[in-house]
Amino acid sequence: MLSSRALTIQRFATTTARGFATAVADAAAGGVKVAAVDFGQPTSAVTVLVKAGSRFQNKEGLANVLKNFAFKSTAKRSAIGTVREAELYGGLLSASLTREHLALTAEFLRGDEAFFVDVLSSFITSARFTRHELGEYVQPLVSSDTLTASSNPATRALEAAHALAFRSGLGSSLFAPEHSHIGVDEIKTFAEGAFAKGNIAVVGTNIEASTLTKLVDASFASVAATNASTAPASKYFGGETRIESHEGPQTVFIGFGTTDSSTSAELATLTAHLSTTPLVKWAKGLSPLAQAVPEGTAVQSVYLPYSDASLFGVVVSSKTTEGAKEAGKAVVETLKKAAKGLTEQELKSVVAKAKFGAASEVESREGLVNVLGSKIFTGADVSVESTLSAFDKVTASSFSQAVSTLISAKPTFVVVGDSSRLPYADELGL
Amino acid sequence: MFGPLGISLAPYVRSSKTLSKWIKPIATWYADASGYRKYGFKYDDLIMEENDQVQRALKRLTPQETYDRAYRLKRASHASILHKPLEKEQWTPVSADVRYLKPHVLGVLKEEAERQKWDSITFNKH
Repeated sequence: MLSSRALTIQRFATTTARGFATAVADAAAGGVKVAAVDFGQPTSAVTVLVKAGSRFQNKEGLANVLKNFAFKSTAKRSAIGTVREAELYGGLLSASLTREHLALTAEFLRGDEAFFVDVLSSFITSARFTRHELGEYVQPLVSSDTLTASSNPATRALEAAHALAFRSGLGSSLFAPEHSHIGVDEIKTFAEGAFAKGNIAVVGTNIEASTLTKLVDASFASVAATNASTAPASKYFGGETRIESHEGPQTVFIGFGTTDSSTSAELATLTAHLSTTPLVKWAKGLSPLAQAVPEGTAVQSVYLPYSDASLFGVVVSSKTTEGAKEAGKAVVETLKKAAKGLTEQELKSVVAKAKFGAASEVESREGLVNVLGSKIFTGADVSVESTLSAFDKVTASSFSQAVSTLISAKPTFVVVGDSSRLPYADELGL
Repeated sequence: MFGPLGISLAPYVRSSKTLSKWIKPIATWYADASGYRKYGFKYDDLIMEENDQVQRALKRLTPQETYDRAYRLKRASHASILHKPLEKEQWTPVSADVRYLKPHVLGVLKEEAERQKWDSITFNKH
């Protein structure tokens, strides 16, 4: 009894000791970066991050088509072979796309890493991109992505906001246009450019760093060792657009962008300040904004950091156009108040809230990959501590300074819904 | 019974040097004598298309190939109505009589066989 308890404690000690691994740009892998963390849980996950997000595409929808080509036939196995074999191992394969990265993820039981790393790497090294698969399997997925996005007003508002805020680069949409003509040759060229060693990072959870590095070294050896893709530096523009839509709630997006990455902790704090999510069930929330928002209206603050720019904003969705207008006014008022400064007490609680949000995000696998993804390519410190310690440096003056600089820029304002009755930016006091 | 492409001894004949030396001239003569080239057809236009596999294979042709195939079929049915072959310069030259559809049909068959294999696999994990 006593010995078994001792054993448990000892095991606990070792798992906490290797709480976080740092990124290794392995010499043998010639630049494929590997980071691994082991929480001692029974399922592992490996994510291959490729710098092939929509900001790198030279034609609308290219990145989305490449994402949907994931796990189709390769030189090693066919599309059905990939799926059935993964099924036999009891694993999950998924692909997701952000503006920066294409992420290919495999989740599986401990011990099956050799097979799943091989599945992921064979797409990178030997995807066949056949014309009939594009027509028979990929094109329907691309259209369904587009359709799903277009029926969600919040997604439409965010896509339009990115296009206004950054125009090209980060402004290009995650989704393909409704009628796109993308051939396999374009996909092949895009993939060839993106699948280079400098563009790839592998993040593993619940897997030993040495095991993962060894597998990655072996399976990514044949990837071209060309330099990482670079996109032109982002620039913030801002502007206003109105989209007529008959589906879903009346949506207003009020946002500001910045290319200054030094104030990211302040902006995350501002997001927490504007967040109306209550801390306990059935409560309205203590934030000043939650009190001012009318019934039947939801307000969600978003902060989207990218490698060289970030977009901060608030999505207002309401049943009625009047509700959207009232809530929009409250958002602008709260923002202006925050720019004048918060009291010491308010700031303290908001920083704690933001810090908790950041810390609990890295506990989930997706959150961890998100956080690591932005850091691993630049070779920055990938530990959670560096993310959290930035919040300790937020002071009342730095906060109000960051917010007033942010909102002095031209706002990005998008309405989706009944565009004849939804408010204009100047009516909200922007 | 033999799949959409029908039964063929060609691979066996080709594998033997003597056999192909004897049979090739006869085959060449037979293909020419069967007369489909006089109606502007290619051999793969004659594959029976009323089944799922060939229908799927037809969808995999490039737009140009699909267009050309439709044109040949139409021209040949017109010639059939007139009860005479096409003008000699419109006959399919031997060099143009290529198997443009066969690889796609084989691809479809291979996929079906693989699906069959995965559906009936027995799995032993070591």
